[in-house]
Amino acid sequence: MKRKVLSVLLCAVFAVSMLPGCGSGSSDADTTAASDDGASDAAEESDMQYVKDKGTLVVGITNFEPMDYKDDNGDWIGFDADMAKAFAESLGVEAEFVEIDWDNKVLELDGKSIDCVWNGMTLTDEVTSAMECTNAYLNNAQVVVVPADAADQYQDTDSLADLSFAVEAGSAGEEQVSALGLDYTPVTAQADALMEVEGGTCDAAVIDSLMASAMVGEGTSYADLTYTIGLNSEEYGVGFRKGSDLAEELNDFFAESYADGSMQQCAETYKVQAALIEQ
Amino acid sequence: MELILEQFPVVIQSLNIGFIQTLKLFFVTLLGAVPLGLIISFGSMSRFRPLSYLTKIIVWIVRGTPLMIQLLIIYYFPGLVLDNPIWGGGESGRFLAASVAFIFNYACYFSEIYRGGIQGVPKGQEEAGLVLGMTRSQIFFRITLLQMIKRIVPPMSNEIITLVKDTSLARIIALQEIIWAGQAFLKGSQGISGAIWPLFFTAVYYLIFNGILTVLLGQLEKKLDYFR
Repeated sequence: MKRKVLSVLLCAVFAVSMLPGCGSGSSDADTTAASDDGASDAAEESDMQYVKDKGTLVVGITNFEPMDYKDDNGDWIGFDADMAKAFAESLGVEAEFVEIDWDNKVLELDGKSIDCVWNGMTLTDEVTSAMECTNAYLNNAQVVVVPADAADQYQDTDSLADLSFAVEAGSAGEEQVSALGLDYTPVTAQADALMEVEGGTCDAAVIDSLMASAMVGEGTSYADLTYTIGLNSEEYGVGFRKGSDLAEELNDFFAESYADGSMQQCAETYKVQAALIEQ
Repeated sequence: MELILEQFPVVIQSLNIGFIQTLKLFFVTLLGAVPLGLIISFGSMSRFRPLSYLTKIIVWIVRGTPLMIQLLIIYYFPGLVLDNPIWGGGESGRFLAASVAFIFNYACYFSEIYRGGIQGVPKGQEEAGLVLGMTRSQIFFRITLLQMIKRIVPPMSNEIITLVKDTSLARIIALQEIIWAGQAFLKGSQGISGAIWPLFFTAVYYLIFNGILTVLLGQLEKKLDYFR
């Protein structure tokens, strides 16, 4: 008898704990719709207020020299990191840096586990349609990485036709190679694309020039790789949640710090001043 | 080679930090999933039909979907759909979300192993216990459980070793475990960039840890080798 009572109780506990889950599951459509409305309403009037109330601006980054990387004390520095700290200060909040999986940046933003993506992000159509982006602040290019001993054969786009490429899935590099109709394999990260070339599974990779200058050549595991031509020029921007008022705020902040020279100074610290875009 | 020797101390230190996260997730999962699995196995063996059906459906859902998707759902669902990011963006929140996903997932697998172990104990023993005037809980704890533990050690060892390696899935929600730490050197971290070997070197950590586990679990199996 006691067992039966226990079973019924357990079952009740299960059922009750399932209910809210089921509820939100079955009425998924309307809760999503409702929360979508709520989110865009809230974002329209108060994404900035939300961040200010929280007291922290959570910045989604990947470890990416010279934009966001750790110094010897384990603190985040870099052109983007320093600008993010200054921007957070202007809002009167603390900047918190969180390493994210780059593939999930939109998920992270919409799921509110981060407040912005500020990590040398190329302003592609994919990015601008999913996020509220700022004006571009830095120039970049997509460059072709090939083994150094073959580099002189690949100095123009026509010579690339027979090569097999490795590119980061969803990156600006992938856009370029597919636009040129080249044969390519998408991989999960730019670093993986280099590994493909080094391992001989692909002939060439297309990655950011800022990254290429840090990652290939002397003193790296890719000493026998080099980069040749640039396929396009592109621009970096910062992404916020769709409809956020923080993007506009950051545009104003960029304009101010460009006017007073602090942005240029910061760029010189990390040797990216040549790529800086006038605000 | 010289380059690797030069990078070695920095890389090892960083991999150690990552491996501590891996170990933390491993032990927390084990600590949570071992008892939770027992509760779930009681549920699925219950003679009260609705409870056993309900439990079996839950086990089916959890075992029938990839752990990677479960991690994504548990971490992002509250913020995306319920508009309430309960886990927060920091590392502790990610760890907590990963722990919940792993504990629940592994508890479901464990529950099936337990069920097999419990149902494998001959019914005659329970009847003998009843004849001797033992209560049901006495029979369970003094007769059934003891033999179940002995029976489940080999399949549990299998799951436990798989768990060590599965912890690497948590990188999908950016939990910085050892593979994440190894990959960081590909892109550049602490002055080392474009280094491939740290990523592959992480395998050594898994191999050594699983070696230790294999020996320990083997000893446990021997120790429990009473009867038969």
